[in-house]
Amino acid sequence: MNFRIRLDSKQQKDFLIDRISGIDIFNKPMQPPKQMIAVKQALYALVLSLTLFIFSHADAVTTIEFWQFWTDAEIKPVITEIVNDFEKQNPAIDVNVTDLTWANGHEKIVIALASKSGPDVLELGSDWVAQFADAGHLADITASTASDSAQFRGWGLSTYNSKIYGWPWILGTRVLFTNRDLITKAGFDSVYHPINFTELKKAVYKVDSLGKSIYGWGSNTAEKHRLYKKFLPFFWSYGARLFSDDGKYCLIASDYAVDALKLYKELHDSCGYVADQRGIEDAFLDGKIGFIISGDWLLKRIEQEERKINFATTLIPGTKFPGKSFLGGEILCVNNASEKKEAALKFIKFISVPENQLKFCKANRSSTPSNKQSQKNEYFTSNPHFLTFDKQIQLAIHPPVDPDWVQMEDIIERAVEEALFGKDDLVAEPLRTARRKIEALKNK
Amino acid sequence: MVKSPIRAISKYFLLLAMLTVMVFPLAWMFRVALMPVGSSVSFDALFESALTLDAFRALFAGTNTLKYLFNSIVVGVVVVLGNILFCFMTAYGLARFKSIINKPLFISVIIVLMIPSHILIIPLYLLSFKVGIYDTIWALILPWLVNPIGIFLVKQYIENLPTSMEEAARIDGASEFRILFQIVMPLCKPALAVLAIQVFFTNWNSFLFPYILTSKDSLKTLPVGLAHLQGHQAIDWQQLMAGSSLAVLPVLILFVIMQRHIVSGITAGAIKQ
Amino acid sequence: MNRSLTKVLGFALPWSLTFLFVWLFPLVYALVMGFTDYNLLRPDEAKWVGFQNYSTLLADPDFINAIKNTFIFVLGTIPATTIMALIMALLVNRSFKGRGLFRSAYFLPSITSLVVISLIFTNLYQRGGYIAQLASMIGITVPEYGFLYDNATALYSIMAMDVWMSVGYYMLIFLAGLKSIPDELYEVAEISGVGYFRKLFSITLPLLKPVALFILVINTIKSFQVFVEIFVMSKGKFDTMTMVYFIYEKGFTTTLQSGYASAAAYILFIIIAVFSIIQFFLLRRKEPLW
Repeated sequence: MNFRIRLDSKQQKDFLIDRISGIDIFNKPMQPPKQMIAVKQALYALVLSLTLFIFSHADAVTTIEFWQFWTDAEIKPVITEIVNDFEKQNPAIDVNVTDLTWANGHEKIVIALASKSGPDVLELGSDWVAQFADAGHLADITASTASDSAQFRGWGLSTYNSKIYGWPWILGTRVLFTNRDLITKAGFDSVYHPINFTELKKAVYKVDSLGKSIYGWGSNTAEKHRLYKKFLPFFWSYGARLFSDDGKYCLIASDYAVDALKLYKELHDSCGYVADQRGIEDAFLDGKIGFIISGDWLLKRIEQEERKINFATTLIPGTKFPGKSFLGGEILCVNNASEKKEAALKFIKFISVPENQLKFCKANRSSTPSNKQSQKNEYFTSNPHFLTFDKQIQLAIHPPVDPDWVQMEDIIERAVEEALFGKDDLVAEPLRTARRKIEALKNK
Repeated sequence: MVKSPIRAISKYFLLLAMLTVMVFPLAWMFRVALMPVGSSVSFDALFESALTLDAFRALFAGTNTLKYLFNSIVVGVVVVLGNILFCFMTAYGLARFKSIINKPLFISVIIVLMIPSHILIIPLYLLSFKVGIYDTIWALILPWLVNPIGIFLVKQYIENLPTSMEEAARIDGASEFRILFQIVMPLCKPALAVLAIQVFFTNWNSFLFPYILTSKDSLKTLPVGLAHLQGHQAIDWQQLMAGSSLAVLPVLILFVIMQRHIVSGITAGAIKQ
Repeated sequence: MNRSLTKVLGFALPWSLTFLFVWLFPLVYALVMGFTDYNLLRPDEAKWVGFQNYSTLLADPDFINAIKNTFIFVLGTIPATTIMALIMALLVNRSFKGRGLFRSAYFLPSITSLVVISLIFTNLYQRGGYIAQLASMIGITVPEYGFLYDNATALYSIMAMDVWMSVGYYMLIFLAGLKSIPDELYEVAEISGVGYFRKLFSITLPLLKPVALFILVINTIKSFQVFVEIFVMSKGKFDTMTMVYFIYEKGFTTTLQSGYASAAAYILFIIIAVFSIIQFFLLRRKEPLW
């Protein structure tokens, strides 16, 4: 109940007081007698204390700040709708949404956290969780997730030092996209897909030999935060690991790793269409490339641009059988400095219920929500491509949840760039340099 | 001196060769900016492509470039006007009044001229949070309002002005304020023009500090915006060059109009050394 | 005297404030920060570490590499720029038809935004770009993905672009210097039958020394701080990392180690100061005018 007395204009004030005290304002004496002044003051005091009393007992509304990255014209309305639904179901909680861009979101978050002015709920990329958790900026929500954990997947992405610091929201992985027309032309069955690297190599070479402007393989240039996601599937599928089980040794230069990089480089050198992500996608959609590794946003693009491309999505090949792909995702975290953690968690749980995750995925054409229940929905099960992504998620590995991960990303990318673009055809040496650098990083 | 024709021809040849090299990249930029969006930028395309303002239209429709331009203009004007006022004031004080603080102040100007500005990126960044100007227009303006070059230039100029008019005005009882703005400032127009141009060019093209001290898109200046557009997936060369032309045109126009002042400003500092 | 003091303080107030808050205080702040391990992610955990940042820096292969690249940049571009600027100035000095046009055209790149120039040259240097085509016509092998994608050529390509851009500016300064040489000297030499090159080396160059010194000093200070080109064209990849880019990377991206980056900034500061002083003394030897 909001009770406010509007005392804005002086005339209104005087009128009110004078009416109450029985004096006609139009015949106001030049100077009100002393008793009148005293009465006026007493009345003011009474009104004031009444107002204060009412305000202090009014229903308190908690406002939580939510920072998120989905600003597309198609997706933002869904976020707004979910927020509105939440506010309706929880009238005591108000949610303020702030949009972030991928270009400067990380910086904004860091600055806000450093100056203790950050949001209550923040969306983080999975590779950032560890650095923020380690710095003490994220709340430990392990206890609050216990009842729901079985319903969701991707907890590994937000678990650091055996504690859970974030709620997985939308997961992402990479699969193999095949141009069916090109492989048919190359002599394969249209439903053929290579399940191991030997078959992949053969298929890639065959497609590449179809013509001068046809390429077998799409290979990324030196793009930060992208190249490593293309190489790591090969790395892991060959059985290589980044660290030993006890975390003491860096195994990035193992024989498996060298073999993986050798294959990656071979595909790049002999049959590679080398461009940035957008360029590769463009060429693939134009029918110029046989095989590329990409994520579910490409499905969205094909649909939105109504591309007539006959394509298939299959699991990333491995040495003998399908291999391991890359796992990442968006995580919803609670700011450790927030004073409204309960409300924040309520909101996170709400946005994670199956219906809401489904709503979001439909708007964004995401293939893999974290909620297992959502995944069972017909929207996903009726689309063969979404099924591939779902299967791949189960065969995906995520990078180590380590505060230094972003630096390690950089080191790995440099090693791959060195192998792909360097003058000498060295593969083992860049990996050894990477290992030395990572060990130096970990020993600091 | 009688120059042999061979000498003259080879000199002209050399000059023309250098001219081509110096002018080509910028001419290329303007040409590409006027190409249809998405077309190839091969050498033949330079001549065969149509002439169209499509790239500009696409750029304005799809990006915030007009806002970037606007920001650059606003910041540029404010900083130039600020410098004119403040450098003039300071230079006048140092040139016309002698006190024990003059030498230290002047030395501080010289020192700052010699200090490489990279040393400020981290402290100004961190301090801008504490003061609350991070990611606001003030971060683009306040630190740059008083440029030591300006003080140097104007002080030299004022020192060479006769003091008779000021003294006469002072005897007549005019306030310092009036003397400053109604008598001395008009006399300093040439130096102030040079100052304005120097400051404008430095500010218009500056990248490092505007990039570091701002983050939201609506606050970017043109160079910062262009650098970000380059990373955009959907931007092609035509649009990028269209944006670049916007950054170059004002400079070009100003140069043509104020050539003499620009040249004298640059050379003044050098010779007076 | 006192009245003047307040007057000066009053008039110079804008400068005093700027000096204190934009230069002096930040300089000290950066110096102190260089002795801590301040990290923007953990601002409350900052502690004094003495010279540890400096010793780590000098052992950091990335930093050493950045120093090396920066020196290559400086030592490579300054002589080239200075000599080219001098040649241009000499060519453009005497009046001839169209001189103003040539002078303006040479000067224009130097007042254009470095971002714009870097963008243009990113295209020109790319695989299949004009420079690649020209190079293969002359017989130079072009790196497979363009000049900016190869350790051996990336930095030098950026340096060439920097020389291209700067010559016009220094040409103007040389021109002013040439103008200040009294004509009588040349006339005397003419009469004595001195040839062109002798005149150049005995009159022009010695008298241009102060101008050359000025150019050297400001070019050095500017070149040691090369950043924009690297940021736009290569982001430090393919062995183009320079010191200011290193400071940027360490202090503003990924790890936000403000303390470490501040120490690096001061090392650069010291290097620049040392260079400026050396240049000053080397070229300042007093000589009789003639």
